[in-house]
Amino acid sequence: MTPAPTRDPGHLTLALPKGRILEDAIALLSQAGLPLTMPEKSRALRHEFPGVTVLELRNQDVPVYVDLGVADAGIVGKDVLIESGRTVYEPVDLRFAGCRLSLIREVGADGDITRVGTKYPRAARTYLNARGIPAEIVKLSGNIELACLTGLADAVVDLVQTGSTLRANNLEEVDVLFHSTARLVVNRAALKTRRERLRPLIERLRELTSQ
Amino acid sequence: MSAFIPEGTRDVLPPEWAQREAIRAQLSGLFSRWGYRGVEVPALEYASAHHPQDAVAFKLIDSGGQVLSLRSEFTTAVGRLVRTRYPHGPFPLRLQYSGRLWLRAQNSELGRLREFNQLGVELIGVESARSDAELLHLAAAALREVGVGAALEVGYPGFVDAVLEDAGLHGAARAALHDAIDRKSGADVDLLCGQFGLGGDTRRTLHALTDLYGGPEVLDAAQALARGTRAQEAVAHLRHVAALYAGPLLFDLGVSRRYDYYTGLTFRAYAPGLNQPVLGGGRYALEGGLPGAGFALGLERLMRALAGDLPPEPELVLALDLAAADAARAQGLHAELAWTDDRTELQAFSAARGIHRWASTQGGTLTFQSATEVTL
Repeated sequence: MTPAPTRDPGHLTLALPKGRILEDAIALLSQAGLPLTMPEKSRALRHEFPGVTVLELRNQDVPVYVDLGVADAGIVGKDVLIESGRTVYEPVDLRFAGCRLSLIREVGADGDITRVGTKYPRAARTYLNARGIPAEIVKLSGNIELACLTGLADAVVDLVQTGSTLRANNLEEVDVLFHSTARLVVNRAALKTRRERLRPLIERLRELTSQ
Repeated sequence: MSAFIPEGTRDVLPPEWAQREAIRAQLSGLFSRWGYRGVEVPALEYASAHHPQDAVAFKLIDSGGQVLSLRSEFTTAVGRLVRTRYPHGPFPLRLQYSGRLWLRAQNSELGRLREFNQLGVELIGVESARSDAELLHLAAAALREVGVGAALEVGYPGFVDAVLEDAGLHGAARAALHDAIDRKSGADVDLLCGQFGLGGDTRRTLHALTDLYGGPEVLDAAQALARGTRAQEAVAHLRHVAALYAGPLLFDLGVSRRYDYYTGLTFRAYAPGLNQPVLGGGRYALEGGLPGAGFALGLERLMRALAGDLPPEPELVLALDLAAADAARAQGLHAELAWTDDRTELQAFSAARGIHRWASTQGGTLTFQSATEVTL
């Protein structure tokens, strides 16, 4: 349903990605003064706390919920945010969940790049266009490295955290598209209509991440 | 025939239709009382690469091979009308419009349709703090008129541009920073400052732009950042407008969306609990340089802000003859005419339609009987 217009104007709805980021996000937000605790393992996807509702989502869905205003704010990786193409405010770099989006090829590959496998078609397209590389993009959902190893693609664009998966598969990073960390994202109208709650939260998060 | 309608379009059914018509009547009445005369412009336009919404407008090809667009915003269309029909005014020219718009690229999402309705005004041919304040007053009056409690927020995209100019930024660097500042992304401002070799004071100033929102105190903070005359004049102008308006205003001087289109202030209205603006507008220059400013309200957004506050409707009765229908209508009731003498059928219809009373004339006087107690 539509976000209830009867909701207490001070109430916050937050969109958080399930999984590992959720724990870090809850820890950081409670340090910043929100009355949140890690929800018990359960099938519940919506968690109620005093004055705050937490929606537990797939990370690609966080920018959608925030842009459309169903959630007032959320936490999501910059990689997912760029790929979403959504126009939300991103006032704080939370400096965790660090990784980089890289162009990866088999060690020693030096032929033209004609086909690129990726979970990030928008970012890959922007990168390739900026370099004038007329490669085809194949949208994949997981284990992107295999695309390179099987000849489905002659390069892949994927996230790299430590690089150990690459080394184990005889792959190497050729270039870095961008570095990503978790961001606080805020709906454009909510930042204004709920600023009594959001502004102090932003300030506190900046202090905690020392900016 | 398909039973479906294209994504992003919708049917409007009677109770909502009545509410939409009531809102249209309230707003057009208000705009008229302020001297804004109504115009209609075609929904079919010649496609043009210079149209600000060209990339997102629906395109059609007519039998002569001419590419046409479906109207995607009103300001450009009204501007065309002014240039051709009122090239010499008299100015200021106050016009109002209402109608449908279509956007090709719009996803069918919550509050974002591909076919939607706007009502709005344009105040053309003058450029002054008083005309900006008039539009803020009218915007506030429009929201009051339809019963939406909303906060008005003012921005000035040229202020961001002036601050970036004062920082010595041009071309692609300035465009990239506009985008980062508009998203209030301190991290991206840092990244770009690193790329373009900007440090110290400049970096702090650009960061400060991402936090320039809130109440009137924002204008003081903005003044402290304004070094060049352009930036200073923008702040002075906003102070002047705010003083003339004299009501509560929010400010966001980090807004820089369409900074190359707006030539002065911009504003929007936020209704509590609805995370999308219900009204938006600003000052622009028409092709040829004539100044203009205006705003539009989204009918579908207003409906969401009002969520189900249906206006009271007069009672509907079933009239058994034409004279009874006329007499009932003369009393302010709504009357549907009976189409048959079969009272069982009429009773079934009354139950389904929620009609409680039947009207008839006996000996020239209007009499009512309860629809459930009619003797068959």
